[in-house]
Amino acid sequence: MHSLTPERRRVDPEPRTEAAADPVTHRRGRGDRRPGLPWILPALIVSVGLLYYCIGYTGFISTLDWDGASPEQTGVGAENFVHMAQDPVFWGAIWHTVVFFVLTFSIQVGLGMAFACLLHSRVHLRTFYKVLIFIPVVLATATTAPAFRQIFAPDGALNGVLSALGLGGLTQAWLANGTTALLIVIFVQVWQSTGVVFVLYYAAIGQIEPEIIEAARLDGAGDLRIIRSLVWPGVRGTTIAIAILSAIGSLKTFDIPYLITQGGPSYATEFLGTQIYRVSVALSQVGYGAALSIVLLVLAITTAIIINAGGRRGGRTDV
Amino acid sequence: MFETRRLRSRIVLQIVLTLLVVPFAFPLVAMVQGSLAGSGWANYTTVLSLPQLPRFFVNSAIVAAGVILIVLACTMTAAFGFSKLSIRGKEIYFWMLLAALTLPEVVLLAPLFATITQIGAYNTLWAVILPLAALQIPFTVLLARNFVDGIPDPLLEAARIDGANTVRTFWHLLLPLTRPIMAAVVVLVFINSWNNFLLPLLFLQTPDQQTVTLVPQFFVGQYNNDQTKVLAAAVLTGLPVVIAYTCLQRFFERGLAAGALK
Repeated sequence: MHSLTPERRRVDPEPRTEAAADPVTHRRGRGDRRPGLPWILPALIVSVGLLYYCIGYTGFISTLDWDGASPEQTGVGAENFVHMAQDPVFWGAIWHTVVFFVLTFSIQVGLGMAFACLLHSRVHLRTFYKVLIFIPVVLATATTAPAFRQIFAPDGALNGVLSALGLGGLTQAWLANGTTALLIVIFVQVWQSTGVVFVLYYAAIGQIEPEIIEAARLDGAGDLRIIRSLVWPGVRGTTIAIAILSAIGSLKTFDIPYLITQGGPSYATEFLGTQIYRVSVALSQVGYGAALSIVLLVLAITTAIIINAGGRRGGRTDV
Repeated sequence: MFETRRLRSRIVLQIVLTLLVVPFAFPLVAMVQGSLAGSGWANYTTVLSLPQLPRFFVNSAIVAAGVILIVLACTMTAAFGFSKLSIRGKEIYFWMLLAALTLPEVVLLAPLFATITQIGAYNTLWAVILPLAALQIPFTVLLARNFVDGIPDPLLEAARIDGANTVRTFWHLLLPLTRPIMAAVVVLVFINSWNNFLLPLLFLQTPDQQTVTLVPQFFVGQYNNDQTKVLAAAVLTGLPVVIAYTCLQRFFERGLAAGALK
């Protein structure tokens, strides 16, 4: 992606006569000096305009008691937020998000690294494996959800496989139990996004010079030692990027619990996204839904800033 | 990466890899198998014979094409402006865009719903196209700006000295140079719009306006929860993206992984 490095910009130090004579082009290396505002306006209007308008509107709604349709809106100040602090479903959703993030992130990183290292070795059918890992990335959750509901149903494929393996004692209604339902949501997320993590690690490992690894091997380092001491530190930036992606992704989680577990059983797989949807649409408590949205937004921005800052600080002590 | 000088270690690696891939393949296999259970291929002919089905695909194609056009136009002009033109307070505008990067779409639910019903866009594809475009632009602008930053300024200066105005520079010089990033943007935006579920769920009410992600739900109603037909429908909705991906593997992997490259 960065084949054209910023260094190139400094390649042009010699003043060319025409350029030096022209006062407009005089400030070289800073780009074209002609006004650019009209060029960024479409993006600003469509994106910043629409999104900031919506955020502001959400902020306003969050202070209302409103069903979303009636002209009757009652201002209730911060009452929605007070209600949230006492709402066990909200705290449950936060807790599920944390568990979801910790598990999906660590499993994805482990699997992604394993696949990247394995496929950088001499193995057969490389493309075949790669395609299998990546197909879940391009499929919509809406497309795969019926399959997962079928797999984890009491008479579904998973129980069938378990019985066939003589593990009939383990069969159960996977989606009816709160813990296994949450684990299924996590499994589907890992299934869907390991492909991206793998591609990122695969590219990052490709940047590590093979000579270094060869030298370490000649010094007697084993495979695992090489991965831990050479590869893992080498892909640190990628790991931080993945951490940000999966943290934000965890906060945004909606499709998987909505389509596979409906947030249940008894709120065991409720996430902020599904709670906002349920509260605003099914229960018509749009004010409360908006208050939850504001909290979700603040959490998302704070998380991105914290991980970014933490990653940078850690990077400096590493060097 | 791994030591592969001995045959034994090579076989072990191959076996480990295969075992690790099994959980990824299993749901796909179960899905296809489930869609063929009961009456076999007849499930597919039943689903395909439904007159409403093509409409879902057409709608999804319109949504994807609309979002791609809007995002691409906004992104490339903005990347050019941010990277190569002079704008007072440029970085402030840029940060305003970046702040929207982390925005979960569900946050927009209430205000979008209120606004969309007010302007009468409810149950039209615009209700999905515009918010989808707005949500993707911050990220694609970030991607494209990074790329355009790497294009040497002297190249653009040369074009200007040769008498090209800003529009011509953009059209004849910048766009051809940015083809790789445009391909990444198109893939990314295509997948995100084709696969989006929440916005169609919220704003598209009647089957003649709905997109492919709502097909499984539609069939649950249609077939009284006959799982084999629901799965057949799901397989059909997934086929276009899987075919697109296998034909354009490298573009997809690069485009979808671009997310983490800063």
